[in-house]
Amino acid sequence: MEEEVENSSGEASGSSSGNQLAKNSTNNTEAVKRKRNLPGMPDPEAEVISLSPKTLMATNRFICEICNKGFQRDQNLQLHRRGHNLPWKLRQRSNKEVVRKRVYVCPEPTCIHHDPKRALGDLTGIKKHFSRKHGEKKWKCDKCGKKYAVQSDWKAHGKTCGSKEYKCDCGTVFSRRDSFVTHRAFCDALADESSRKDGGGGKLQKLALVVCSSPNSSSVVSMAQPVENTGQTELPIYQKTELPKNPVGHFQLNPPLAGVNGSSGSSSTGTSMFNSVFGSALSGNLQPQPSSFSDLVCVASRESTSVTEPPLLRLSSNSGFTLFGTTGKDSSQFARPSQPAMSATALLQKAAEMGATASNPSLLRGFNMSVASSSGQQETLQWNAGHEVNTASASGHPTEGGVGLTELVTGPSLLFGSKLPTHDFLGLRMGLGGGGLPTGGVSALYSSMRGTAVGGRLDVVDGTASSIVEGNSEAKSD
Amino acid sequence: MEGMVQDEGSSSVTSSSPLQFFSLMSLSPGLGSPWIREMKSEERGLYLIHLLISCANHVAAGSLENANIGLDQISQLASPDGDTMQRIAAYFMQALADRVLKALPGIYKALNATKISSVAEGIMVRRFFFDLCPFLKLAFVITNQAIIEAMEGEKIVHIIDLNAAEPAQWIALIQALSARREGPPHLRITGIHEQKEVLEQTALRLTEEAEKLDIPFQFNPVVSKLENLDIESLRVKTGEAVAISSILQLHSLLASDDEIHRKKSSPPSRNFSSAHFHRVLKMNQSTLGELMEKDMANGYSPSPDSASSSPLFLPSSAKMESFLMALWGLSPKVMVVAEQESNHNGSTLMERLLEALYFYGSLFDCLESTVPRASMERIKVEKMLFGEEIKNIVACEGVERKERHEKLEKWVQRLDLAGFGRVPLSYFGLQQARRLLQSYGCDGYRIKEENGCQVICWQDRALFSVSSWRCRRYD
Repeated sequence: MEEEVENSSGEASGSSSGNQLAKNSTNNTEAVKRKRNLPGMPDPEAEVISLSPKTLMATNRFICEICNKGFQRDQNLQLHRRGHNLPWKLRQRSNKEVVRKRVYVCPEPTCIHHDPKRALGDLTGIKKHFSRKHGEKKWKCDKCGKKYAVQSDWKAHGKTCGSKEYKCDCGTVFSRRDSFVTHRAFCDALADESSRKDGGGGKLQKLALVVCSSPNSSSVVSMAQPVENTGQTELPIYQKTELPKNPVGHFQLNPPLAGVNGSSGSSSTGTSMFNSVFGSALSGNLQPQPSSFSDLVCVASRESTSVTEPPLLRLSSNSGFTLFGTTGKDSSQFARPSQPAMSATALLQKAAEMGATASNPSLLRGFNMSVASSSGQQETLQWNAGHEVNTASASGHPTEGGVGLTELVTGPSLLFGSKLPTHDFLGLRMGLGGGGLPTGGVSALYSSMRGTAVGGRLDVVDGTASSIVEGNSEAKSD
Repeated sequence: MEGMVQDEGSSSVTSSSPLQFFSLMSLSPGLGSPWIREMKSEERGLYLIHLLISCANHVAAGSLENANIGLDQISQLASPDGDTMQRIAAYFMQALADRVLKALPGIYKALNATKISSVAEGIMVRRFFFDLCPFLKLAFVITNQAIIEAMEGEKIVHIIDLNAAEPAQWIALIQALSARREGPPHLRITGIHEQKEVLEQTALRLTEEAEKLDIPFQFNPVVSKLENLDIESLRVKTGEAVAISSILQLHSLLASDDEIHRKKSSPPSRNFSSAHFHRVLKMNQSTLGELMEKDMANGYSPSPDSASSSPLFLPSSAKMESFLMALWGLSPKVMVVAEQESNHNGSTLMERLLEALYFYGSLFDCLESTVPRASMERIKVEKMLFGEEIKNIVACEGVERKERHEKLEKWVQRLDLAGFGRVPLSYFGLQQARRLLQSYGCDGYRIKEENGCQVICWQDRALFSVSSWRCRRYD
């Protein structure tokens, strides 16, 4: 039964007798602008059209009202109508106002799109949806046997099925180069990160991530939401590779990527570039394996394993970038905390400080010492067993200048005996910064000397290590 | 060994470096060998520094006897497979001994006559360095990014690599270019290297990679030393967009016979501010620094401010200038220069030694923190790469001394003078480099940006700098 919608007088398009069309007009009469709505939320002013399955799948939806001839497309119908020589009034399509936007619901009652609120805006879309979801899959790919209900889906698949295969070291297979590249960049990183978190091997299934990028292929940002690939798009990657859907959590590594600049071209090139710097650097006398960069990085953590280890093994055994890690081999050496073994840089700084405290000639003269003199007693540093010289603490504590000065004053006879736990000859007590500080008298001495800065050297006394350290400062130049 | 003050022409206590003073502190002679063994590593480290510097003082002053004693003492404590300071001391000690031995040319030549340097080993050690430390990788990433950005829209790209030993850099670039939105350009890479075999290997890897990705590619090997490079042999065609990549190569061109320069001293009178001095001056004058050094015992430059900002302290080098001029003549769209960020080109031994101590100290620290002590690769890198550099810096003089590293500010001046304009490196490249470091997993490495250049550091000590330049014409 036809009902005319209240405001459109002779609206003829697509609705004529012979078809069971039920038009449910929703509400108002305002001309609807053709604007795109948010996905999943149709325009509330749109006209909801519900077609029966038969009508939906009918090939000739557009019927000429004069001769009842059916056409697949509206344009074709219009062309045909011209031939009828209609009088002027009837000639135009009688809806003078803009056609109201139409949204369609799926006739299948169990389908979510049956609800007008979830109607789809495109007739072709609803047809395809209906076929895909509720229809029979009549088209089959002969290469891989995958079945499709919609012919265009089948054709699209056929173009890429088996054409190119990219295989990541972790075993995942890709048909698209972009997704392969993106995956490879993060495959090992993710593996290592996840295994660092979980501390285990056997992370290979986590490695089998499908990193989907969007069809326009270069945006790495879209990696962050792979799971949005529901049936909506035609991107077949997900289904093809048959991998488990990865939780978004695995992409935790990528937060910096989200902020990557808009030029997506360079972002993917960047990814491929940087991963391939490491990807293929291991060569030389090896068979050129497309090894990933982490393998190379992990070389550092391998002592003696030969470089020809298969990549998978490498990944699992060296997961977590075990530079500081626990995968057995080198753990004892890397468990070294920073304190006891001083780095060369720290040693040099310390030496500079000690040298600087001893260097000020006015100071030294003031205390009847000179650097040049070889008189035994007043030597600042003695590598003599038994003398506990409290020079400076390891951490470059600002007070050490004062402490060093103390030594100049009091000579080696001053023993901060009780304060020094062990005998380390140079008083290098880690973490005991500032212990054994001079008390009142010396510090008065110390502060009185501030006034006599000579050539800036005295600053050293109360300064921090940084003022003394030469090598790093910009002061030193040619 | 007692501290002494010697006012000799070249250095002993002359510099105002605190390390020098440290070395002058007296040591009590009570150093029996059992006690040495008991020394803890820090004390031993400090002692080694002391010994090294005082020994260097002796070497610089020419007192071989004392140097001999010093070396003997160092050799008891230093070791190539000990802790960081022991290793550093071992190589510095060797370098100093080398220097001393050069004074006896007959013996020196006799000892070094049967040295066989194998090309394969050189390649291997470079590969180890590439693998163990991220510095080269970072430099590659940054360089490649700068090249890609400069070459946007170009259809024909010609890259000149001043040291085509590591194909990884270009493989990465090829892959990046093939993923370019407008499609890959026609790519030519001209690789320069002294050894033909290295170039052959590189050529192989690169053509393979390009074929895989279907990119029109051509590799031109040029077997030549950098200083003897014939620009014509690069075959740059008009209309090509040229990019030049120099990773740790330019400094060797500063090697010159310093003695000649020193003799030709004339007061430096350059005014760097005017642009027309580009390529006009033949810089034969010696630097103010060298002049001062003759006058004063102090080999060091005066107050810090004048030294760093004054342009007068740019040691001249005809070789470098003509090379840069030749490169400038190619009108490169981009030239990326990566260099060591340290001044190892001081005119006196002590200056260089002290700077080198800090620089290589940091590098050795880096290896110590990231690679196990027993690693043979690490030992090889330390010995055959760093050790050789140290030897060159300390033991060689004049044209032989190729490792003339200089700080970024000097390079900036030099390149600016040669007609290149600085191109700031993009933030994106920095991000990529940082991402690389993140994936590396070790947090001692840092990259920071400085006036458009990027500096790679280990624990706040700057080690390598990367800067990008373009040919500046009609500016």
